Amino acid sequence: MLVENRAGGERALLLLILLEIAVFAFTGPNFLSAANAFEIVRLGTELGLIALALTPVIVTGGIDLSVGSMMGFCAVAFGYLWRDAQLSIAAAAGCTLLVGVAGGALNALAITRFKAPPLIVTLATYSLFRGMAEGLTRGVDNFSGFPAGFLYVGQGYIGGLVPAQASVFLAFALFYWFLLHRTTRGRAFRAIGFAPEGARWAGIPVQRRLALAYILAGFTAATASLIYVAHLGQARADAATGYELLAITAVVLGGADILGGRGSIWGTLLGLSAIVIMQNGLRVSAYPAELAGILTSAILVIAIAAGRRTKRVSRIPAIEENTEEDMKNSQLAVLSAVIIAGSLIVAGTNWWLVQSVTGKAPIPGVSPSIAMNPAPGEPAHKLTIAVMPKAKGDPYFVSCRLGAEKAAKELGIDLIWDGPTDLDPAKQNEVVEAWITRGVDAIAVAVVNAPGISTVLRKARAKGIKVLTWDADAMEDARDFFVNQATPQGIGDTLADEANRILKGKGDFAIITGALTAANQNEWIKFIKARTESKYPGLNLLTVRPSDDDRNRAFSETQTLMKVYPKMRLVMAISAPAVPGASEAVKQSGRTDVKVTGLSLPNMCKPYVEAGVADSVVLWNTLDLGYLVVNASKQAVEGTLKPGVDSIQGGRLGKITIEGSQVVLGKPLIFTKANIGQYDF
Amino acid sequence: MTRRLIAIGGLWLLLLGILAVRAPNFFAPENLRDMAITNAPALVVSIGMTLVILAGEIDVSIGSQFAVLSVVAGILAKSGLPLPMVAFGTLASGAVLGSVNGLLVTAMGIPSIVATLAAMAFWREFLRWTTQGAWVEGIPATFQWMGLGQTGGELAIVGSAAILFAVATWVTGNLKLGRAVYAVGSRRESARLAGIPVSGVTFGVFALMGAFTALAAFLDTVRFTQVQSSAGVGLELKAISAVVIGGTSITGGKGSLWGTLMGVVVLAAIAPALTFLGVNAFWEKAIQGAIILAAVVMERAAMKGDRAHAR
Repeated sequence: MLVENRAGGERALLLLILLEIAVFAFTGPNFLSAANAFEIVRLGTELGLIALALTPVIVTGGIDLSVGSMMGFCAVAFGYLWRDAQLSIAAAAGCTLLVGVAGGALNALAITRFKAPPLIVTLATYSLFRGMAEGLTRGVDNFSGFPAGFLYVGQGYIGGLVPAQASVFLAFALFYWFLLHRTTRGRAFRAIGFAPEGARWAGIPVQRRLALAYILAGFTAATASLIYVAHLGQARADAATGYELLAITAVVLGGADILGGRGSIWGTLLGLSAIVIMQNGLRVSAYPAELAGILTSAILVIAIAAGRRTKRVSRIPAIEENTEEDMKNSQLAVLSAVIIAGSLIVAGTNWWLVQSVTGKAPIPGVSPSIAMNPAPGEPAHKLTIAVMPKAKGDPYFVSCRLGAEKAAKELGIDLIWDGPTDLDPAKQNEVVEAWITRGVDAIAVAVVNAPGISTVLRKARAKGIKVLTWDADAMEDARDFFVNQATPQGIGDTLADEANRILKGKGDFAIITGALTAANQNEWIKFIKARTESKYPGLNLLTVRPSDDDRNRAFSETQTLMKVYPKMRLVMAISAPAVPGASEAVKQSGRTDVKVTGLSLPNMCKPYVEAGVADSVVLWNTLDLGYLVVNASKQAVEGTLKPGVDSIQGGRLGKITIEGSQVVLGKPLIFTKANIGQYDF
Repeated sequence: MTRRLIAIGGLWLLLLGILAVRAPNFFAPENLRDMAITNAPALVVSIGMTLVILAGEIDVSIGSQFAVLSVVAGILAKSGLPLPMVAFGTLASGAVLGSVNGLLVTAMGIPSIVATLAAMAFWREFLRWTTQGAWVEGIPATFQWMGLGQTGGELAIVGSAAILFAVATWVTGNLKLGRAVYAVGSRRESARLAGIPVSGVTFGVFALMGAFTALAAFLDTVRFTQVQSSAGVGLELKAISAVVIGGTSITGGKGSLWGTLMGVVVLAAIAPALTFLGVNAFWEKAIQGAIILAAVVMERAAMKGDRAHAR
């Protein structure tokens, strides 16, 4: 019975994968190539390891939400052991695996010894492990400069084609397949998943088997973290954020029953492939990144619903099944239709209202100036320039995009604007890989993690693609030019100068940053500190608090800061949503002696600057930045921007200075009550 | 359940004790007021989450729903509708979103964690796609504080949450409807045999969860003059943590809203308390995780020998 079901589900999944391949072969240039196939394997390795590790856990009816955080913690531990404890790479890696085992053992202990539900235990360790990684690194510290031999594991190719990590993945897949399908332990997992009590009576050491599943998950997460570090060349506290949910999705899509008892490695591999191929295919086809999440969730629901239907017929015990049937089918149909219609209305109105209200928001998906694929066969003479922000949803980058689109329209080029929806260095690499596969003329990246992305950028250059960086630079040899809107030092100095001006040389201030691990902000803070210490001895930085780029969090943090430090006179918010958040808190408190300054978009802060709550906001012209990036990319492709040139014509921006390999936009703007009305972005 | 409350209560009193000695300002009325206002929306969603978990289900999509509904509220307000209509429209949209989850779980038979995991990704990405990160700006001034002025608005926010809590407590404790939720969560088959419409109850808690999320989004957005489109990330974990800390059994059927209230209060206090104590922000997440783990383990240690809950 089970076998039949599984085969049915897997056949459907296989069909889905074939369908994906067929569609993307049509929409994505070079999607069907051996190089791209192996790229997919590389991108799926870390996620795949996690999904493999979760399969036995889910088969026992448990769950492990902590694996992604565990990867972050292990990455940091590895960096520490190697750099600070001076261990050799091999010894550090060995110890990291032990750390993973220890983390898994902590989960196992709480679950088996204290009989706490896995969901809660791993929810707690999800925070705990990530928190320990952040605490150990103080969010700021990260580890890079690993030897080439180690980086090979994540970046190299065996025989020039097969990614090195594929061998590790294959080994783990075989191991897990053997464990789950060819050993008595594997059958024990299943038995426990069906009925723990029954398994115990059948003589299975339930607690020991459960412990094994969680400890193995810890070990595998540690292995995945090593590959992740080798892949990106850098170990950071925010490694692999959110991997657990995607991995669970892969396992469940592969036919595992989240309630336990059912699941196979083969299914997990299929589920994983379906997800990873879709992500890659969408990127290669230059469809917006958000579609991946939307489609994956839709497929998940459909697959599970279909699976349930077949299972209902075949599963023997009647208890579970007929309990649900207290609604008539006709009623159900009507109700379903009403709710689906309702949700479509909500979705539709949401869409239209957003359109009509924000007005200037780019059209969802694909606006005319953004490259769709040229229809197959049609000769595409237009240049294609691919531009990546650090994070797509960030209002700062949204306004850069408007400038970029304007330039694309003026210059008659195809613009691909895509990137991770959250700050995620690994995703940035994946997108660049997809663009290389697709074959664009120029790539311009706002870099999240310099050592992490440089390898793939070098690869792009080797393929003859012009590579520019903007907003934040990669390593110098990995790109042709850097469009420099302002150096971290320039920003830090300007902010410190503003603080000095507002506080008139003396007083206490606090900083509200984005995420504690955000590299940009940490860099700025470093220069703000340096400048105040050397130049403004009267200024005193009280503390740095995180806002996680959430306006509401910045609001609460500011409220608390005003009470803890009654003498604080200035809040410096250095993440775009944090300035309005901090300003609102100051406004509501009625304290006129506390001012706000920081780095944000003028439109967001206009009401507060005009009301005098926020004294000033610092930023360069984001529209110009986006515009210049596209313009410079085009000139780099056409050869008017080349090494040795000391200026270019930047379209409506006029003459733009080139310093070495840097295209300089100019100084940051300072928006105050006097001039903020002139800007609209 | 009460053991966990005692364990957590002990930890919490310890924290308060340290605060009283090291940072008595924590107990200043303004601070307590601000904390109450900021966390009123969290209490509202946690009440909904308690009902969902009591019924033996879970909903991890509320953070994404919260973001969608905040934008809905902002857009409705911007379109010039009168405030009661804005509130009604938001709540109705929330009920629809919750009903989608309810249908996936009851009609299509998808386990709630999978169904709501899909909904979580779907709504978040959908919102990112449609708004492209843009905020809703230029909302009429009467929207902030529901036109009641700051003090009035603050009272209304905390009052709404308090009333909802009182009503929900009374209903779960005294009405057949409330007991049905417990019954379904503790033993579906028995509940069915006892004549309780199991699917109806399950569907109902999800629809309510959606409506409560909408209320929370509304109470949250009226504190500001702009609506951000990326709100609510991690809200589901916060709500689930509050419910679990409050002693509600994750497998359903056991727990109380009073426990949840306590869970919300404990979680609400941690972040500001650490700021008051001057603890570095980098350790916050670790401390939060450790507290939840300690709560669970302490409770389980206290009832060692009880083998009724193997999972």
